[in-house]
Amino acid sequence: MTKCPACLLPLGDGDYLALATHLVDRADDSDPDHVRWLNQNLSRVKSEPTDLVPGLERVYEMGPGGIKTWIKSKFIAKFYGKNPHPFVVALQHPSRATLLGYVVEHQHFLRQWVRSCSYIMARTDQPKVVHYELDNLNTEYGGFGPQRVAHYELLLRMGESLGVDRAQVLATPPLPATARGIEGWNEIATRENWLSAVAAMHGLELIANRNLVDEGASVRYFDPSILEGSEISTASKNFLREGYEADVTHSDEALDLVAEFGTAPGLREALQSTFLRSIDLFDDYLLARLERASQFEA
Amino acid sequence: MKRNYAGCAICDSTWGNVWEEVEGERMFFCCSTCVVQFRHLVGRIKEETGWPTIESLEITGDRRGRTCVASAGPSTFRVWVAFNSDGELLRFEKLGPA
Repeated sequence: MTKCPACLLPLGDGDYLALATHLVDRADDSDPDHVRWLNQNLSRVKSEPTDLVPGLERVYEMGPGGIKTWIKSKFIAKFYGKNPHPFVVALQHPSRATLLGYVVEHQHFLRQWVRSCSYIMARTDQPKVVHYELDNLNTEYGGFGPQRVAHYELLLRMGESLGVDRAQVLATPPLPATARGIEGWNEIATRENWLSAVAAMHGLELIANRNLVDEGASVRYFDPSILEGSEISTASKNFLREGYEADVTHSDEALDLVAEFGTAPGLREALQSTFLRSIDLFDDYLLARLERASQFEA
Repeated sequence: MKRNYAGCAICDSTWGNVWEEVEGERMFFCCSTCVVQFRHLVGRIKEETGWPTIESLEITGDRRGRTCVASAGPSTFRVWVAFNSDGELLRFEKLGPA
């Protein structure tokens, strides 16, 4: 079925007129999420539902590259276009404040990550997906023993290397945008089809996929030169390097699973809308990292 | 306040239907988030300049950042702003003359 990309309301299969009518109705109520989606994806000019249908068809249309290419193209357009996301800009050569903003908000994100991926494992009927999630959760949260600690631990060590101990990080509540993101991703993981949740969560790992520059991204997540020299702390390098090396595989493998199991047209459209909703939440969450960073600026 | 946008006072969108009084004038906004953004923007410009009122406000840019040119009498104030998702100011960077 088609779903609204702003609120995930279910609508009929391929019924873009129903979707357009719903978007216009909610925009007439001035609902910020629906107005935002229209402004950013179709047009800032108010129009009739019938006039929006061709634009919606273009948004959901997949080219010969299929769902994997579609997800990457939407992600690149949103975060890595000619005007990249401000957090990505700040991370090219990050200040201490930027990295601390990352630490404080991202520990909340990673704790939700465990919940989301666990729901996927509980709900899927595909052993291949369970194996993928187990490996991902160990990399991100569980770790593989003292010689290869988890991304979560590396994040906390980065904070400590910058003068903020983990007790303070763990005791800091999330900013509102982070909290909304967590709530949204929890709803996706618990209510949407498990494969939609795979696309919604693991599609976000594209943020650190360094190969996106070969597919049109204007920059990488950070300038890789910061992994050399003394621009950032060793613990910060260890954290960033881990994502830099892991997230190519994580995102590509997950998108391969989405392509393998997401062939039914009705499922495909629901999955596309869920992914679009997830990247809007992620956009706001990345801004929350910057907002938190501003609290650490001198 | 003279403005360059005919639609929403912040983003020029014509979706939505929010009318709010700002600086004694009833203005159109596409959503409540843009109302919050505009109030923060006007308040901060007045705070920075000490102007009692802003006579004109020209905004260009997009959600990633907007350049604003405010004027009052012969004085002009230029600034680049960005907002968080709740409409609060995330960046407010004064710009030199155009």
